[in-house]
Amino acid sequence: MASVAVPQLSGYQRPAVLDWIMTVDHKKLGILYLYFTLFFFAVGGILALLVRTQLAVADNSFVGNDAYNQIFTMHASAMLFLFIIPVWAGFGNYLVPLQIGAADMAFPRINALSFWMLPPAGLLMFAGFIVDGGAADGGWTAYSPLAQQTGVGMDMWIIAVIVLGMSSTIGAANFLVTMFRMRAPGMTMFRMPIFCWTMLVTALLQLLATPVLAAALVMLFIDRNYGGQFFDPNGGGNVVLWQNVFWFYSHPAVYIMILPGMGIVSEILPVFSRKPLFGYKAFVFATIGIGGLGFSVWAHHMFTTGSVLLPFFGFMTFMIGVPTGVKIFNWLGTLWGGSISFPTPMLFALGFVSMFLIGGINGTYSAAVPVDFALHDTYFVVAHIHYVLFGGSVFAVFGGLYYWFPKIWGRKLNERLGKLHFVLMFVGFNVAFFPMHMLGLDGMPRRIAVYADSAGWEALNMLSTGGAFLIAVSMIPFLIAVVMAFMRPKDQPDDPWEANTLEWATTSPPPDYNFDSLPPVRSERPLFDARHSNGEGH
Amino acid sequence: MRRVPLPRRLRLFFATGVAAMLALAATGTASAIQPGGITDEARLMNELFWIVTIAGLAVFVLVGAALVYAMIRYRRQGDELPPQFHGGAKIEAAMVGVPVVIVIALFTISMITLVQIDDKAEDDALTIEVTGFQFSWQFAYNMDDLGTNTDAAAEGTIAIIGTPQNDPVLVMPVDEPVEFLLKSNDVIHSFYVKDFLYKLDLIPGRENSFTVTARETGDFSAQCAELCGTNHALMRFVVRVVERDEFDAWVAEEAARQLGTGTRVSASGQ
Repeated sequence: MASVAVPQLSGYQRPAVLDWIMTVDHKKLGILYLYFTLFFFAVGGILALLVRTQLAVADNSFVGNDAYNQIFTMHASAMLFLFIIPVWAGFGNYLVPLQIGAADMAFPRINALSFWMLPPAGLLMFAGFIVDGGAADGGWTAYSPLAQQTGVGMDMWIIAVIVLGMSSTIGAANFLVTMFRMRAPGMTMFRMPIFCWTMLVTALLQLLATPVLAAALVMLFIDRNYGGQFFDPNGGGNVVLWQNVFWFYSHPAVYIMILPGMGIVSEILPVFSRKPLFGYKAFVFATIGIGGLGFSVWAHHMFTTGSVLLPFFGFMTFMIGVPTGVKIFNWLGTLWGGSISFPTPMLFALGFVSMFLIGGINGTYSAAVPVDFALHDTYFVVAHIHYVLFGGSVFAVFGGLYYWFPKIWGRKLNERLGKLHFVLMFVGFNVAFFPMHMLGLDGMPRRIAVYADSAGWEALNMLSTGGAFLIAVSMIPFLIAVVMAFMRPKDQPDDPWEANTLEWATTSPPPDYNFDSLPPVRSERPLFDARHSNGEGH
Repeated sequence: MRRVPLPRRLRLFFATGVAAMLALAATGTASAIQPGGITDEARLMNELFWIVTIAGLAVFVLVGAALVYAMIRYRRQGDELPPQFHGGAKIEAAMVGVPVVIVIALFTISMITLVQIDDKAEDDALTIEVTGFQFSWQFAYNMDDLGTNTDAAAEGTIAIIGTPQNDPVLVMPVDEPVEFLLKSNDVIHSFYVKDFLYKLDLIPGRENSFTVTARETGDFSAQCAELCGTNHALMRFVVRVVERDEFDAWVAEEAARQLGTGTRVSASGQ
């Protein structure tokens, strides 16, 4: 299959730059998504380093209080809205059509539109730093009435988030139609690669939840600019209403941010354990379960408002631990009895599993309502969210990059540098975020620009800052590996990892329209079947 | 199958990993040894905290050990394909059943604690009206609502008002229920006293309240826990828990200062 000759159309070729701008090819758009989101990962990372520098010592005046509020707000906004949510759209764009054996997404032009909404939105959001009053500074949660007080940067933030939401809503529709209508012959829903399943549930969540956020943001915009009183108690509005509509989106959004990462890990673990995913259907149902339950736990972010039905949301929050626990067993069962090797993608996948395990356990503290009264809005919660979204999602992003780099760019990232990257990032991550548990238990609230020397929080904060800079250092071997890879010719075979899914059945990188011919699909692992056509294992 | 010894570097890597995990678990446990809080309610919450911690550590150690064991025991040792095991109904039912049992147990225990701490205090408890504002606090005491020793005919209100540079002190008596009424007129704040192991939001257009009974005297630092603008970080205060007679004396002194000497005050006929 490696020697498939792809007929090239002769004649007019667009200049390369124009070609990237005008492309409707899902692979090129996927690559654009990856470049765009990794850029904002770097921007968000630099903002995080500013935050950690400010907090390194007590009573610091490295940045002012106003600037600090802008910096952490934009750190979260960049990481969530401009990195982690669209990075999955990037992986999804590149991989979903390939994994289901399709030539492209269902609506290629709409796909291009989804991507091209991102750069102006990102620019608009960050242009807040140069306008009067600065960038948005009410936290990424933009709680009203605080969000009514800040400058025009807040309006720019609102519009940017609405545009980003539109991008992911129409992108979600595109993914759903593609997966429902364009699967290869023989690929039933339960033979679909597990990454596609996680993208499917993610797309459903985006389609159902994102419009609610858009509605909330429009109300906030009206409140700010046209004297609306949706969230103003003096005009009959309700302050807590904002939190209800915001979290109705933003809790499912947490699953939008982690499910595709779980999908990537569930692609990598079977390949390097040389076994099928343990309990494929259980994993699919657990994913659907997380998606469904995800809509019923939003108010656990609001336990301390005094206006929440505590037992219901406490119960649902505990229940969502069940499908999450199932997934841990899926991964453990996949490793069990396998033949495990440890190339870089596998290290990141295992890093994901172990860190997500901690992120699951420290999440149960907040489900236990009375414990949440103590820990809510402290650094304990900051630790939790980073164990889920950094120890989880970001490790999955890098696992996915190392795993699919040969497919996407036809070159392999250096293994030694990759392992160095993993070890530095794993250690740096834990040094940065584990101490935050202790800080939270010791009463340090999140989102404070300064703390007093007498609070006794300095040593752990200093440690955490050191860890953050170690994470930054871990990017150096990664970048060197990328540069080294691009200096080499494209030499990767179709299937360098002995993988299972259809994207490895075409050349690396794949030609336009992906496939000349497809192997038969008789299970969720068509390439495994092709390698072991004597029927071994089935 | 021939057992291939684990390469030295890999062994080192695993050993470091296991050591790091154990160290994390140990520090986690050590760090969790918090002062158990100074109120009756906090002690209940602290017990629940420990139950969740023990359950969480058990899960972490079991799953973590299984992960590390699987990585070492089932490392690739040749080209032979391992058994292609897809799963099974029984084991998958257990995968659902075990977490269900754990979370329902934890939920039940936490609801019991919630009901216990939610016990509303008697109507005659001392009431302190807390108003959060950008960027400090006001603590107001109505002279006819001072709990034990209240003189129902007393009039007026004494108030302690802080600034971001000058942390206000909330004075309350030990060993009796104290009710806090929480209000805000600008943005959302959160009344967070670490040693109560408790926080509750101050929300414009809404009045929240809670009751605690402190069991230790002393000064306890506290601060706003909900982002409220530029000087959110400076919205600190001190909770000073004192004996009842000391509290009465403080009230008398403040009343004399704020309300004038001619005003009738409550404290023990002074």
